[in-house]
Amino acid sequence: MKRSLLYILILLTGGSLITSCHKLNEAITSELTPSAFPSDSSQYPSVVGPVYVVLRGNYAVEYFFQQSYSTDEALMPARGGNWYDGAQNQQMHYHSWNADNGYVNGNWTWMSTIIGVANQTLNILKTAAGTDAAKKPWIAETKMVRALAYYWMMDNYGNVPIDTAYGDFTPHANVARSTVFNFIESEIKAALPNLNTSTAASQYGRPTRYMAYALLAKLYLNAEYYTGTARYDDCIAACDSVINSGLYSLQPISTYLSQFAPTNGPQCSEFIFAIPYDPAMTNTFGTSGWPFRCVNIHARYDVPRSMGKVATGAGYNFFNLPFTPDGPAGTLLSYYSYFNDPGDIRNNQWLTGLQYEPDGVTPLTVTTTKSGYDFTYTGSDGSAPYTYQVNLTPNYSLRLSTAQFDVGNDEIGWTMGYRNIKFYPDATSSSRNQNNDIPVFRYSDILLMKSEAILRGGTATQGQTALSLANQLRAQRTTSTAWTNITLDSVYNERIREFAWEAWHRNDMIRFGKFEGAWGFKTDADVNHRIFPIPTSALTLNPALKQNPGY
Amino acid sequence: MNLIAFCKIGPGKPAVPPTFPARFLTKTLLVMKITAFLILAACLHVSANGFSQKITLSVREVPLEKVFKEIQKQSGYSFWYKTQQIDKTVRVTLNFRDASLQEVLAKCFENQPYDYVIVEQTVVIRPREPAPADEVNPLAIIKGKVTTAAGKPLGGVSVTVKATKKGTTTDDNGDFTIAVHHEDVLVFSYVGYDTKEVRVGDQATIAVSLTESNAALNEIAVIGYGGQAHKNLSSAISTVKNSDLNVGAITDVGQLLQGKVPGLNITASGDPNTPAAVVLRGASTLNSSQTPYYVIDGVPGADISLIAPNDIASIDILKDAAASAIYGNRAANVVIMVTTRKGKTGQTQVNYGGYVGLEKVSSELKVMDAPELRSFLGKNSLAFSPSDDKSANTNWQKAVERNSAVSTNHNLSVSGGGEHGSYIASLNYANKEGILNGSSLQRVIGRLAIEQYAINDKVRFGFNVTNSVSNSNDIAYRNTVLLESALYLPVSPIKNADGSYFEDFNHQNYYNPVAMMNHSQLNTKYNNLAASLFTQVKLPFGLKYDLNLSYQDYSSLQGEFLDSYFTNNYNGMYNNPDPGLGFHLQQTFGQNGQATESSIKNTTKVIESFLTWDRRFGDHSINAVIGYSWQDQVTGEGFTVTTANFPVNSIGYNNLALSNPYGLNNWDVNFGSDGVYYKTRLISDFGRVNYNYKDKYLLQGSIRRDGSSVFGADHQWGYFPSVGAAWRISQENFMETNELFSDLKLRGSYGVTGNSTGFSAYTAQFLSGNNGTFYYNGSNVAAYGPIQASNPDLRWEKTATTDIGLDLAFLHNKLLVNIDAYNKNTTGMIYTYSVDPILVPAGRSPRTGGSMNNKGIELGITANLVSRSDFSWTSSLNLAHNTNKITSLTNPLFAGGDSIRLSDPEGGGQSGSTLQILKAGKPLGEFFSPQYAGKDQNGVSQYISGADTLTTSPQIGIDYHYLGNAQPKLLLGWANKFRYGRFDLNVFLRGTFGNKIFNATRADLFRPTTAQYTNILKDVAGESINNARAYVYSSRFIESGSYLRFDNATLGYELKSFTPYLKSLRFYASVNNLFVITGYKGIDPEINQGGISPGVDYNNFYPKTRQFLFGLNASF
Repeated sequence: MKRSLLYILILLTGGSLITSCHKLNEAITSELTPSAFPSDSSQYPSVVGPVYVVLRGNYAVEYFFQQSYSTDEALMPARGGNWYDGAQNQQMHYHSWNADNGYVNGNWTWMSTIIGVANQTLNILKTAAGTDAAKKPWIAETKMVRALAYYWMMDNYGNVPIDTAYGDFTPHANVARSTVFNFIESEIKAALPNLNTSTAASQYGRPTRYMAYALLAKLYLNAEYYTGTARYDDCIAACDSVINSGLYSLQPISTYLSQFAPTNGPQCSEFIFAIPYDPAMTNTFGTSGWPFRCVNIHARYDVPRSMGKVATGAGYNFFNLPFTPDGPAGTLLSYYSYFNDPGDIRNNQWLTGLQYEPDGVTPLTVTTTKSGYDFTYTGSDGSAPYTYQVNLTPNYSLRLSTAQFDVGNDEIGWTMGYRNIKFYPDATSSSRNQNNDIPVFRYSDILLMKSEAILRGGTATQGQTALSLANQLRAQRTTSTAWTNITLDSVYNERIREFAWEAWHRNDMIRFGKFEGAWGFKTDADVNHRIFPIPTSALTLNPALKQNPGY
Repeated sequence: MNLIAFCKIGPGKPAVPPTFPARFLTKTLLVMKITAFLILAACLHVSANGFSQKITLSVREVPLEKVFKEIQKQSGYSFWYKTQQIDKTVRVTLNFRDASLQEVLAKCFENQPYDYVIVEQTVVIRPREPAPADEVNPLAIIKGKVTTAAGKPLGGVSVTVKATKKGTTTDDNGDFTIAVHHEDVLVFSYVGYDTKEVRVGDQATIAVSLTESNAALNEIAVIGYGGQAHKNLSSAISTVKNSDLNVGAITDVGQLLQGKVPGLNITASGDPNTPAAVVLRGASTLNSSQTPYYVIDGVPGADISLIAPNDIASIDILKDAAASAIYGNRAANVVIMVTTRKGKTGQTQVNYGGYVGLEKVSSELKVMDAPELRSFLGKNSLAFSPSDDKSANTNWQKAVERNSAVSTNHNLSVSGGGEHGSYIASLNYANKEGILNGSSLQRVIGRLAIEQYAINDKVRFGFNVTNSVSNSNDIAYRNTVLLESALYLPVSPIKNADGSYFEDFNHQNYYNPVAMMNHSQLNTKYNNLAASLFTQVKLPFGLKYDLNLSYQDYSSLQGEFLDSYFTNNYNGMYNNPDPGLGFHLQQTFGQNGQATESSIKNTTKVIESFLTWDRRFGDHSINAVIGYSWQDQVTGEGFTVTTANFPVNSIGYNNLALSNPYGLNNWDVNFGSDGVYYKTRLISDFGRVNYNYKDKYLLQGSIRRDGSSVFGADHQWGYFPSVGAAWRISQENFMETNELFSDLKLRGSYGVTGNSTGFSAYTAQFLSGNNGTFYYNGSNVAAYGPIQASNPDLRWEKTATTDIGLDLAFLHNKLLVNIDAYNKNTTGMIYTYSVDPILVPAGRSPRTGGSMNNKGIELGITANLVSRSDFSWTSSLNLAHNTNKITSLTNPLFAGGDSIRLSDPEGGGQSGSTLQILKAGKPLGEFFSPQYAGKDQNGVSQYISGADTLTTSPQIGIDYHYLGNAQPKLLLGWANKFRYGRFDLNVFLRGTFGNKIFNATRADLFRPTTAQYTNILKDVAGESINNARAYVYSSRFIESGSYLRFDNATLGYELKSFTPYLKSLRFYASVNNLFVITGYKGIDPEINQGGISPGVDYNNFYPKTRQFLFGLNASF
């Protein structure tokens, strides 16, 4: 009995010893907590990295769609219901978009995310180990990426909220476009002195001082439209800062298209700022809830499906692609007709008419059935085989359904539209992700912006005129004779030829007052549509936001 | 000695008649006189041999006294006895001619409680067995019979003398014989029947009828840190015994309980690898995983795959918060207490149970066959591409299925025990084939449970160890395979003439499903170990101390191999994830074969220590528990690696070192996802008091203080109280004369439970993670950035439940009724808010905010409809109704909870379309989609726009309407048990009513215009070719999900004690899912009702099966 009492005593003592622990702090040994990362300045590249991953986000795909499908540059009709996708492409074309349009929504989210990631990164850099001097260039570059995102956001949505401090979770109201304009201008000016002036490969893909000037030039060129106040001289001054650096030059006519090829990169002398794409780059934003693909998959949308990886008889793998492209997008004849100078190298970015195998002689054929070729075929031998040569046709006809923007799911439907292969399909990739970097600012844009600014009333500088600047460019683009006179319209036309598929056309059309015109099936002329609505999801997430006028 | 004892009894006993007959006196004198003889006889070993008088006697049913007189007459021998002795003897029937005295006497005393000695010429009658020294009363032999209330004989009933604990059991006819004293009390007990006590008195034969016990009343419910009889519960707890669990080749415990407990909504899809979703009394949270919280033999948070269904003794479901609040922090969803079989004191028992099951497909998607599709195309002037049309008629769904899938299961257990301990050891082997080719599960579970008392039985040690080893073969990209098997054109053959697989890569996302299956492997082996040590010490003053230590270790090893055919042909394919993700991800495979090996280990250590005080003071009894619990958990320890470029395909994933991933362009070795590893700690203090006055008034109160490391530093601790009271009205005096109710109890309770699961352990922290790579100075550099905002305000989510219940037993427990009504409010719901990415770029952040309400009523009825000796029928019906409503979805900072559209199946041409919405005032699972309004004159589907006009192209979000919801209005389970002789038949039906299902699978196969590229449903035949977008997710595809399923019928035949070595043997045959009555057009209306988007039939390609089972149970 005594012994059992002893045992009991031991148990009770043991029990109360055990029960005295009330410590809940589990050391985190498997995550990058603020105390663990960054531990020194050598990790800054990895700290700012997320800004560039997310910047890559929608730029090559959904952002391009919003800038391009809303203009006469391109459209993506449905084919038997495929690519209808909630009418988002149809709405882009008809200017009938609403606050729930997938692109309107996705791009707002993407731009907001760039800003949010930049704010977070700045917050981390502020408290991170390291000297202020070591941090300065990284902070300036991050702020420039943020300014670029704000520029896109202001250009697309007009009145947007300004959030600059991470950790302040109170919803901010959207402010007037002019306020955003001023904010961007001041941000760029503040960052300028701390930005790198090198154009070496080490700086490629990240903002330099000249990227800041290029963005300033773009801002000032459009200032009259954005704010009502013309800033053409400021635009010219910004362009001059780039020109005078002497660091950039035009690609000669022989290599013009190569600067968009999968092999493009830091060596491209026209690139002031480009967003690098590489199929080997990974992106985990998508898996953690940020739906940005961060890929360039132009060929998927632009190459006719019979010209990539195909089954026997279904075409010819002209571009040697590892995948079958969908190829639902093409240009409009009205846009293509600007490419009317036979000596212009830029014509070569188009796929039109009858297609041949690379020998240029053997017709590129597809074997299908009579009704597979034309779903409207009513003969009784609809299933009889039918072989035809792929023929890309310039016009679109909504043969299956006008209401549903559908050209039909047959070979006729799939070959509608001239195609653009400026960002040449990448045969070296094992997936549909391409290696082609996409330029945001090219030197040719600087020249044409300055030319246009002069035509719009800016003061010519450095002995350059609107005409001389345009001819300087055209000398490297066409074998035709130089222009002898120049108008705003001819600058507009030149911009079409120079920047096709580079996501600037919507911006140009608005500035030139052409956005309310009619093209394709579109007749809408509502000026409110120069900016997109604030997406419903954004209004839900931020109750302080106010919808744009007209939506 | 005998004689002395004999003398002692003589006078002064109450049994002595009040008037002393003269004979008695003389006989007493005679006793004294012959004492001497007897002593002598004993000393001299006098035997009765040698007497040779012949006796002739023929009597029938006469008292012994008469026989003695006759013998005395014939032989001259006199008899010495007491009158009481004669009273206790039985009448005899004798038939002798010239028999010896011994022969006659032997017969006379054959069945008597006495025998005799012959001393000289006197026959002395004495007790047959020497009585103990303190025995004060002679024994009598009593015969008796035990029957059921219906008069059926009950064999095997234990009949014991209350005082001495000695006894016997009844034979097959219910008969027994026992030696007793008049004043003894006999105790009749039999499993499943109420124990009955009968005072012997003067009865010579005793007829006893036992009534079947009301299990719900007397059985001990496992309530956590103790147990309590159901009759004394003040909370809502449902107990399901092993014999009531669902029968079938079931490897998931959720499915064992389907339909058995009112208010427990369990949905299991046809896919055997997806555990059933279990929701109790409606969803109470938006984030918690739907897995119930299992407590197995007192081990909290145990993995249920450890337990073979055969080893389960009973399952208790803690339904209201008063019951589950003792498990405060984990109790938000449902706490299921599993009690396993234990060894019993007494003989060693060996049990074997085994079955073989056969599964056949009972339902699959009704897609067109080749002639149907051809005629549809012909009618619409469409045609197959020659590259597809090989004039085959392939049933692709059949092509990926087995003809029949076989399951076998063997369970062997040995148990036993002595006075101070018991043990049980069991081994279970299960082999289950999936209905899809190549899928299978093999599992071996070994279990040992030992209980040993020590130190004067004051200390009880228990040691349980269970190890479960599973090996499962699944199909890589199974959902894609199933999708292809629905889509693939029937006119194409499985293989070309040259033996290679038929493929047509001209179509997007179009792959031969048979080739996919046969060019990939996916195998998972997992090992699950749980060991626990219990120590219980009995202390003075009614105190008991328990210390439970447990350790659980789960490890899995998964290998996946996609061979060179797969990686080189299917690169760039989209996966087809299970619902919830909302987007398909394009897969990039490494060339020449890709292999993944993943090894993950989770460990949990738990210490629980509690002190129980159990005391009775007159009519008051008190049971109090205070305790402490500590839990440390490490999850996701291990690695995952994916590599590619193998020289051959035969290596599979078995030798990753042979791969050459660096020889591939644009492809990297992959290490799986970030943030898999985490540690959590939970610490709790708890206490509970139960007070019981006269078994009439019952009170319970408990409180648990819980701490979890997952919350913000200032909000780690939460308090979870509960109170309950019950009034057993049937125990009141005024109810004594009542014949109607055998039990009547009114219960009421209120309690709060918490939740700290369903989100990452580091949710409150500001974390950076891998964001991918970016171009930096000529190479791709890793980007590490915030993936999660800090959330110092994250705190306990709480669910408060009020429950009022009524337990009724009528007509001697022939009819049992339980009614419960409840109101359940979840507040401070931890919900992953969509947040403005400009503030939190992750776009989502789990925050505290939002609330939800569930109200409902549950009814359980059990009736013994027939209980005759040859036939009995018991019927149990349970019904439950619940209404769920999201009452708020806001957070002070983040508004992005309300009106969030979700469930995005991403069917072709439907990017961005959603099926459901989360909105305050609406239930979880509210459908929000275009409203179908028939067709226009061209046969094109039209819909009611947001502005109430008609449109053929509804816009996402704008032309959407509220279209009902996925939650059922009524759940039904109806079990019937029939017994006829040795046959038993169980019939179980189960149903769900009033819910809607969004049949997105059907919508995606509703494509008249693309029928030349991919197959369509037979039902599309009537669709106009103009209706290019017939597939638009809309009310057209919202269907009633009501169904009644004939879930199971089991016919058994039992043999009892037909050899001495086999105690019982039962054969049974069972069929599962015999038929379903439903109007639902998909594969099966039983669609997952758990999670945040319930009731969406999306990717429900998994064929539903019907299962036949033949089994036997034997005990030795």
